[in-house]
Amino acid sequence: MIKANNVSHFYGKEQVLYELNFEINKGEFVFLRGESGSGKSTLLSALSTLLKPSSGEISLEGIKVQEIKNIDSFRQIKIGFVFQFHYLINYLTVFENIELAAVKDKQRNIKPLLEELGILDLCTRYPNEISGGQRQRVAVARALINDPAVIFADEPTGSLDSVNSKIVYELLSKAMKKGTTVVVASHDEHVAEYATQTIKMRDGKIQ
Amino acid sequence: MTSFKALSKNPFKSLLIFSSITIAVMAIFLISSVSQGVIGMYSKMINTDGDIIITQKGIADTFFSNVDINLLDKINEMEHVKSSYAMIVGASPVGHLPIAGIYGVSKNHLHHYTLVEGKYPKEGQVLLGKTISKQLRGRTVKIGNKRFRIAGAYKSDIGFEEGGVVMNISDAGKMFSRSASFILVSSDAPNNTDALVKKIKKLDEEIGVKTTQSFVQEYNQFKIIENSSLVISSLAFIMGLMGIASVMSMIVNSRKEEFGIMRALGKSRMFIIKNLFFETLIMSFSAYLFALGLSFLILELLPHIDSLQGYVNGSLSVSISLYVLLSTVFMALLGSLIPAWIASKTDPILLINQGCS
Repeated sequence: MIKANNVSHFYGKEQVLYELNFEINKGEFVFLRGESGSGKSTLLSALSTLLKPSSGEISLEGIKVQEIKNIDSFRQIKIGFVFQFHYLINYLTVFENIELAAVKDKQRNIKPLLEELGILDLCTRYPNEISGGQRQRVAVARALINDPAVIFADEPTGSLDSVNSKIVYELLSKAMKKGTTVVVASHDEHVAEYATQTIKMRDGKIQ
Repeated sequence: MTSFKALSKNPFKSLLIFSSITIAVMAIFLISSVSQGVIGMYSKMINTDGDIIITQKGIADTFFSNVDINLLDKINEMEHVKSSYAMIVGASPVGHLPIAGIYGVSKNHLHHYTLVEGKYPKEGQVLLGKTISKQLRGRTVKIGNKRFRIAGAYKSDIGFEEGGVVMNISDAGKMFSRSASFILVSSDAPNNTDALVKKIKKLDEEIGVKTTQSFVQEYNQFKIIENSSLVISSLAFIMGLMGIASVMSMIVNSRKEEFGIMRALGKSRMFIIKNLFFETLIMSFSAYLFALGLSFLILELLPHIDSLQGYVNGSLSVSISLYVLLSTVFMALLGSLIPAWIASKTDPILLINQGCS
């Protein structure tokens, strides 16, 4: 499903990832853990096609990322993102935020998905009219709308309380049970309760 | 819909762009309309009164032209000449007004002006244009160094004329030391004016003879006005362009996260560029309509401002409106091109870096 082969990355002269090699199988819930500066966010960026590593190869669903011709379209269809800050567009309603991410034939699934996540009543509200926890649930809905092969979450509960954090992890776990691969980079040790695989990073290396 | 929402969510910055486009577009509208109005007024003065114009040869402006008025008798005897008249055009202080157009006309042309008051002037008398007659009270008026009796007032649909003074050509001749500025000839065979032009040319080596149509097309003053208008319009265009580009850059900078989200969601760079273009186009078109309305209002008001004496006049033609519309669209697209390009290059990794622990 996801394969990293000798992946290294430099920011200028500073090396932040050191020849990483690992595989993640389809339907796994991967906990990418490590201290600040361990390189987990850089690795997440590289795995999610946002960052081109300085060397090495990354494959998603058997396709080498470097060989993908239309990376935008690939990202829209195959990858979902959940960030630490919800990053919803503040002038769009909840529905419109998800609609923006949805490919055409998935747009009819927006309301059923919101209903499934228990936030259908927020449909016409704007991000600044809902709570932090609700915003992050909307962000999860946006990540799920296209039934992606993999969801990458970077500190998804970093700005949430424990109740809302649990809700977000349960939503991601539910997606995993439906066959979506989930990769979560986090400090939060509670992720381990949901994870089927843990990758521990330290100084740009896998421990 | 998304573009409308984006604009309404940034009302202050949207208003800044709207204002800079409105001011630039209005400036282009007014400059183009007024310059065309000036050209139109003078062209109409010449075009409506004759098919052929005779001026002094090699003179750049009719103000400096001196043609022998005695040519009128010879011209009137020619075949296909319906009528001819001489005119002196000049400018002089009139009463307390620093400057006004002076039109010295031969007797047969006085009836061209519609009297609204009094009677046609004899020697030593003048007719005042309706616009300046409101500002000049009394029975006499000093023009240059000479005092004239006011015989009446006239109206004309040409602002230059209505803001000026009409007198007998002999009085104007003494004032400006010339026989006539030009002679206008009307032909009863308007399709065969070229032959008449050739015949008139033979009367005097010192005269330049042209059809009024070609005179208007080649008149240097019109070219100067048109070029000046083009230069000022271009400056207004550049100012509008800079306004759009700078505010759009501010907007793009403040919405970097939004573009990062779009890129992370798999939206293409072209999607972001198109969205920003569309936002600018919405504002530009609204600003265009607003500027069109304001310009129309200002152009309606201009002829009623006494201090302008009716000389500043203009009308919005379809061609000017289309020209300005195209300029506005071009300005909007060009002004937002670089900011939109920068926005589309937003690296979505910033979303991870901002939250990076």
